[in-house]
Amino acid sequence: MIDFINFYLIPGLTLGSIYALGAVGISMIFGILRFAHFAHGDLMTVGAYAALTAVWVLGIPALAAIPIAIVFTCLVALMADRLFYKPLRDLPTIYTVIASFGVALMLRSLVQTFWGTDSEVYMTGFQKPVVLFDIFRVATRHLQIIIATALLTLALHLFLSRTQMGKSMRAVADDPALASVAGLDTERVIRWTWIIGAGLAAIAGVFVGLDTDVHTNLGWNLLLPMFAAALLGGIGKPLGAIAGGLIIGVAEEICTYPVFGESLISPSYKTAIAFVIMVLILIFRPQGLFKGRLM
Amino acid sequence: MKKQILMAAVAALMAAQPVSGWADDVKVGALMGITGPLANFIPPILNAAKLAEADVNAGGGILGGNNFVLVVADGQAAAQPSVDAASKLVNLENVAAVMGGLSSGATIAAANAVTIPNKVLQVSPTATSPALTDIEDDDHVYRIVPSDNYQGEVLANIVLDEGLNKVAVAYVNNDYGVGIANTFKTAFEAKGGTITAFEKHEDKKNSYRGELATLASSGADALVVIAYAAGSGAKIVKQSLENGFFDRFVGTDGLRDDILIEQVGADALATSFFSSPTSPAENALSAALRKRFDETYGEGSDKPFVDQTYDATMLIALAIEKAGSTDRAAVKNALREVANAPGEVVGPGEWAKAVKLIAEGKDINYEGASGGHEFDENGDVAGFIGKFVVDGDSYKQIAIFE
Repeated sequence: MIDFINFYLIPGLTLGSIYALGAVGISMIFGILRFAHFAHGDLMTVGAYAALTAVWVLGIPALAAIPIAIVFTCLVALMADRLFYKPLRDLPTIYTVIASFGVALMLRSLVQTFWGTDSEVYMTGFQKPVVLFDIFRVATRHLQIIIATALLTLALHLFLSRTQMGKSMRAVADDPALASVAGLDTERVIRWTWIIGAGLAAIAGVFVGLDTDVHTNLGWNLLLPMFAAALLGGIGKPLGAIAGGLIIGVAEEICTYPVFGESLISPSYKTAIAFVIMVLILIFRPQGLFKGRLM
Repeated sequence: MKKQILMAAVAALMAAQPVSGWADDVKVGALMGITGPLANFIPPILNAAKLAEADVNAGGGILGGNNFVLVVADGQAAAQPSVDAASKLVNLENVAAVMGGLSSGATIAAANAVTIPNKVLQVSPTATSPALTDIEDDDHVYRIVPSDNYQGEVLANIVLDEGLNKVAVAYVNNDYGVGIANTFKTAFEAKGGTITAFEKHEDKKNSYRGELATLASSGADALVVIAYAAGSGAKIVKQSLENGFFDRFVGTDGLRDDILIEQVGADALATSFFSSPTSPAENALSAALRKRFDETYGEGSDKPFVDQTYDATMLIALAIEKAGSTDRAAVKNALREVANAPGEVVGPGEWAKAVKLIAEGKDINYEGASGGHEFDENGDVAGFIGKFVVDGDSYKQIAIFE
């Protein structure tokens, strides 16, 4: 049982936290800008590499480099919006979806050009886990990732429910026409959507690098489970996306838990879990757990 | 949404690459996994191919002084992207032959979908899966590293010699991992060893702790990791050490990557060892090749698969010269003639001599830096397997098995 918590549940929560932070942006962009943002994974990659540069140049730990990663990634996202998405805003959203694919390829190629294709780590070597109450063995970075995600979730909740901008965002997500008639500045809402989405993506990217390594396909590889998380939580429901991310992360890890000596399912099918959850959600509950918008 | 995904997929396929070419260039494709799990291996490998290209052009060119041009395509060391890249090389660039791919999965996928149907010669410098031996290739697919049937057997001997009788095996679920894991298992058990657990995993996941917990509970003395370091191997080693699952590792050529030492640290790997296809003892020509390599590119002649890649490129160039044209069928038929005995022996850097011999109508036999390259009926070669240990931030060879 203790093995279950140490080696399945906690890594699952870590993975889920990363999915969750990425999925918030996807869900909000889907809710407010009405398109599936395929470049979101690559925004994570950009964030991870921005932090890597800060680690190299300034010699600071990866966690301290997060603010730099956030600023850089937000600038990249706002620029992509200005250059590629804004001109397409009035066309059917499929144009923007395809444009986001192009942006994804461009971002990845730029990262490969500037940083190379080798995988890198923030820190060489390995850390022994923290032992709590003699039985829990948790890697320090997993504690950091899970706690940080919990705090970010709280902050996000307060932002969406208490601030003027947060309320405007929810209004635009619920009914853009009505929000516009009511006099809300849509462009400003969109700008903040990018800032929050890209900022959280940058944090998620750094977390991936912290947990494993930094490589140019880092975000792209996570795109599918993050979309599944956004769908599971309900499109346009940022807190739903967080729940969705955690559920999918945990499900992926615990599905290999051995019961009576045999894994529940073979570890080589782990990847399929996100697919299966996504398909089931689309069939049986397309609005997601938190009653999101239908596509 | 469905439509969007479909269109998005089309967009992804259109990732274009620059097209080059002159009318008189003799073009050969280089199918490389420039991005993806083998990215760390690539820079020296690509340099080796370029050095062969430069040697041909410096030695008077090919087919009567024409420029020999390598067209590089990125197959991401994965099946589908490799098929796309190979298809581009064969159909758009119209290459005479393809050098590559690097990983077994990429090589087999490209061969089945592109080079075999189009009747194009393909020579892989690095694909080691036993599955490549039995492929229905009508004699179009060759490799110049020994099959993992051989590496698996040698590895079983090395592990037993180290006094490890009980090991667990974690292998990656692709042609490379499955192939070598099964041959290792068979050989190890036949020689009296016990495999306590045998588990495959998917590449590119973030956590392997669940799998490792299961493997560790089986009571093994060491963990045999058959995976690419940058794909899953380094994470498996790191997470094993962190959680105290294993402290001793046995790896194959995929794990023997400097990135492993960079991620885990040399101290933790002091008792671990690795097997990898290697080159025979140095002779004058291969020493000269390595010296030239380091002078041209600064460093890297000792990196994995540098010799093999040079040899694969050179063999293709020789086959084209022997064929007397870029006709794909003729090039394919010429490969064995230039690679296998009998014939006058030529080696790395002796392009001008080889051209002269071919012009005189003499049979040649290329003996490369990585071995003699005598192809059998399956397009396989016998070879050399080295045993490596960590030395500083790289690896050193401590034994060689033929």
